[in-house]
Amino acid sequence: MADTIEQTRVRERSALDVPWVTIVLNDPVNLMSYVSYVFRSYFGYTPAEAERLMLQVHLTGRAVVATGPREEMERHVEAMHDYGLWATLGKADA
Amino acid sequence: MKPFERADDGAVTAGIERDEALLLQNLASQLTALLREGDGMDPAVVRLIPDAYPDDPAASAEFRRFTAGGLIERKLANADTLILTLSDSIETGVLRLDPQQAGAWLRSLTDIRLTLASRLGIESDDQAPSEDAILQNLYDWLGFLQNSLVEAVDATAPDAAAADG
Repeated sequence: MADTIEQTRVRERSALDVPWVTIVLNDPVNLMSYVSYVFRSYFGYTPAEAERLMLQVHLTGRAVVATGPREEMERHVEAMHDYGLWATLGKADA
Repeated sequence: MKPFERADDGAVTAGIERDEALLLQNLASQLTALLREGDGMDPAVVRLIPDAYPDDPAASAEFRRFTAGGLIERKLANADTLILTLSDSIETGVLRLDPQQAGAWLRSLTDIRLTLASRLGIESDDQAPSEDAILQNLYDWLGFLQNSLVEAVDATAPDAAAADG
């Protein structure tokens, strides 16, 4: 019984530890120059990294732009909505 | 309207006609009305305040409950900045934005373009132009304006030299 409880605890712990991600999705409105600007000015990405992520959004439809605790990813998503980017969050393994 | 240019003090400026300023103020006012009174089911409103959890309606509703109020307040403040700076420009014929105002402009121009795109039914990157030529021209002009503002803001950024390289 004690073992079961211990195992359950370990499972819950590892479930909680799964990181969350902030995802930016492609949309036909936002300009490529603007999306790069947002990635640089908000996340502090280098121009090259911001450009790479912007192109990934544009060409594949989405890109993970941040990984971390859920609360932090929610703040990022809210900030992206401030900028008018289409952003969502989810678990990293989903 | 002329493209934005950087000024020596970190501001950006653009020559602007009175009619253009009034048109932009009108659009910002319409955005304000939509944010204040818009139907939550309106596709434009849904795009301005999108679901944070695409596969989890309950989590999306909870996120919205905690964030939508602040998000709308900030979008309204950005639209106000647009309206006020345009009022100043009507006297001088020059629109002048400090870095903070330029940031508000970029966000609010995005909100206005998202709303227009929703009205025009723009849903994909390679879509043919709308038959509503007036609205389509307006949308394209706002895109030109925003791109010009992004480029001018980038040119004033401290790391602009690195970005050029």
